[in-house]
Amino acid sequence: MIQSKNYYLDTFRVSLPMLDAIVAEGLSRGGSYADLYFENTSYGSLLLRDGAVTSGGSHIDFGVGVRVLAGEKTGYAYSESTLQADIMACARAAAQIADGPVEVNPYGTRNPSRGEPNPSADRYPVKNNWREMPMDGFLPFLQALDKDVRSRDTRIRKVIVNLAFSVSDILMYNSARELKYETRPMGSISISAVFEQNGVMENKSVSRSFRCGAEMLTPSLAKELAEEAVKGIDARFDARRSEGGRMSVVMGAGASGILLHEAMGHAFEADFNRKGTSIFAGKMGQKICPAGINIIDDGTIAGNRGAINFDDEGIPGQKTYMVEDGVLTSYLHDRISAAHYGVKPTGNGRRESFRYAPLPRMRATYMESGTAKAQDLIAEVSKGIFVDEFSNGQVQIGEGDFTFYVKSGYLIENGRLTMPVKDINIIGNGPEALADIRGVADDLEIDPGAWTCGKEQSVPVSCGIPTVLIGNLTVGGQ
Amino acid sequence: MDIKELNKTLQFALDEGAQQVRLTYSKSVMNLIGILNGEVDKTAYALDQSLQLQLFVDGRFGTFSSNRLEEKELQAFIRSSIDTVRMLEPDEFRCLPAPERLVKDAVTGKELGLYDPAYETLTSEMRRKMALESCFWPRKSEAENGFTLIAEEGEYSDSLFDSITIDSQGLFARHTESSFEIGYEATVEDAHGNHYSNFWWDAAPLLKDLNIDSCARTACERAAAALFPVDTDSCRTNLIVDSECAGKLVTPLLNALGGFAIQQKNSFLEGKLGQKLFPEFLNITDLPRVAGETGCRLFDSEGVATKDLPIIENGVVKTYFINTYIGRKMGVEPTIEDATRVKLMPVGGYKTQEELLKGIGDGILVTGFNGGNSNAATGNFSYGIEGFLIRGGKKVHPVREMLITGNFISLWNSLIATADDARPCMSKLIPTLAFKDVSFSA
Repeated sequence: MIQSKNYYLDTFRVSLPMLDAIVAEGLSRGGSYADLYFENTSYGSLLLRDGAVTSGGSHIDFGVGVRVLAGEKTGYAYSESTLQADIMACARAAAQIADGPVEVNPYGTRNPSRGEPNPSADRYPVKNNWREMPMDGFLPFLQALDKDVRSRDTRIRKVIVNLAFSVSDILMYNSARELKYETRPMGSISISAVFEQNGVMENKSVSRSFRCGAEMLTPSLAKELAEEAVKGIDARFDARRSEGGRMSVVMGAGASGILLHEAMGHAFEADFNRKGTSIFAGKMGQKICPAGINIIDDGTIAGNRGAINFDDEGIPGQKTYMVEDGVLTSYLHDRISAAHYGVKPTGNGRRESFRYAPLPRMRATYMESGTAKAQDLIAEVSKGIFVDEFSNGQVQIGEGDFTFYVKSGYLIENGRLTMPVKDINIIGNGPEALADIRGVADDLEIDPGAWTCGKEQSVPVSCGIPTVLIGNLTVGGQ
Repeated sequence: MDIKELNKTLQFALDEGAQQVRLTYSKSVMNLIGILNGEVDKTAYALDQSLQLQLFVDGRFGTFSSNRLEEKELQAFIRSSIDTVRMLEPDEFRCLPAPERLVKDAVTGKELGLYDPAYETLTSEMRRKMALESCFWPRKSEAENGFTLIAEEGEYSDSLFDSITIDSQGLFARHTESSFEIGYEATVEDAHGNHYSNFWWDAAPLLKDLNIDSCARTACERAAAALFPVDTDSCRTNLIVDSECAGKLVTPLLNALGGFAIQQKNSFLEGKLGQKLFPEFLNITDLPRVAGETGCRLFDSEGVATKDLPIIENGVVKTYFINTYIGRKMGVEPTIEDATRVKLMPVGGYKTQEELLKGIGDGILVTGFNGGNSNAATGNFSYGIEGFLIRGGKKVHPVREMLITGNFISLWNSLIATADDARPCMSKLIPTLAFKDVSFSA
């Protein structure tokens, strides 16, 4: 959603000459680049618990961050006031990073993204602005959703429905005199249900999150959520821990993409590579997985939780191929790392809020579909695990080692899904797992859940993957 | 905001129709200096303030916050917030805590000795000097032996936090705390190009207690110690968990004792209050009022006074963490909203981890967890681990790609001993733990 320039200047009570003066102050000690990031975010939330919407609230976060670069060094300060004197004080604090003139080339010549980014895209148009909707208008939706979920399974003991939304006015200005502004919406809804069967408790959670307005709350979304909240619960009660060991793993399409995000995506972020800490440092242009595999980080999917018109440094959102036909073709860049590597920024400079300097961060990260059929990949496996749903993944960027907790899945025996499994871990090494991909199905799904990446700061992302067969990973079971 | 403005804001909310109000005004200042390979790489300065409002209106409840505190804007926000609360459904269980439970001795904010006046004397140059002197990079050749230190990234930061909580029945509770922190991550490379990273950190409320000098070197040594891991077969052996990460095994117990999880039937400890589930020698206590210790607080977020509280006593589950709302909803007496400064009492007479390893003999020493999760409803868990194979009380080689899997109740029943080496910089005082006969997958 993009409003007029004056809307944003008025919101933050600033003028262009004032912005110029602040940037000049930021560069006064010899910095090579300065930018300002203004934010006015309204958050709202409603919580349904024990059958009633008895908790809710709203929150306002307002301020401006001032960043000064001296080569690859960063000075950062922020203010919760946008009075000129207060921002000037921040600019002076941030300026201290520089102690003399430093040359930097903010743009190189290579462009790792495919096609030219569209600087005027609006990837999150809004029909019903969350800010303008009265809270009580959402209560019937939550109440009906609660009722629907409960009606689907007599074993349900507790249901929590949480609606959270935000609207952020953003204004950016930098020492190249680039002015960018927009309004970013985000709506998220989640259900958490607790089931009881013969004295045994199980829980299930489901969520949806989109960059859009309140028009997302449709009857079809409610039905989809309710269906998913109870789906697979029989298998979860029946599930057991399987035997552990080295075995093949088939990752189901969609939410399994979180493994791609954690185990590979972070290692492609250019700051880890610039510092030499990533396992992929120095491997640009090398073949890192079988031919035919493409891995992408994409900010251009309209309405997606990871969508951006432009990143938090004002670089247009784009679709970046990190791996193309099995070859490492690009890291994910902010302005600092792009200058370091002599490439154009890829639109990955993102931040949690005005309180943070931007870092290279993912948007929507996924692997493109291959040509295999999911059932054929499963049929290839004599002994292994099929994973429906992961949670709590962790990766060590240096080593590339990862561990993921399998919330639900199935044992594969002689090419067939047999016993449901749960509460086990899969452990492996990112580069080794990539190189060990044996097949990619034609069924890419981008998961619509409320994924948040927590690398130093929290930013909304999404992930996806087609069904993928990996030859050997360690499965921790009984 | 000063106290007069805060009281005026509270009165405004009452005048606008709230029957009960709780306000928390917080402000903080933070300075950070980042170091990359021996040079200043980033600086950050932050000044924050916000006001949180908890409004009880016509039998309904809502939580609001804003950092736009100019009087007219704030008043408009409060009016709008009260309107929002009126749109919610009634909840008869919401109210402020009973007045007799409220803290009475948090008047200056400095009663716990967590404020260091030295904070006010620090200058930018002093911070920069401390940060630069803390790095190990210029001396890296001292440590390099069969590996290369390829990156050393660290941060020095300090902050001053001050909050005041008042409510409409006369609560006044203040907490002031300074904090000084240093943290380093080192990445080393072996001759084959394999990377190994590790970290070390320290934090203290008083600058004099911050161990700046050895942090970067320790991070480097920890990274180098992980070189040349050996694949280890699946086995059942003793599990020893370093005090740096032992809290990971205590947190799920505390979460399972939380009133919200109990009320929502999403806890494997529901219905277990008063039962002896754990070994006789297991004692876990909340000690929230120890002067000068990280994380101590005189009151919880409701303004209820904290006190020493046995959590697990001689193996018996002694308390759930019940706030006013959950207490009324469940029809039980409230305790405290959450644990503050948890201490697991050492067992077995071992002082150091080295002594404990000698006493245990063989096993796997876990120095970090890598992913994994637990099931809140069942207590089952599976965690990735990194660490060392131990034979005869000594580290033999690093291990990787291993998992521990089990159930928390049975795991804690296999506790055999602990060291007495809990790190005071951590929010929970958990020493190195040793468990008997745990299942490792590899």
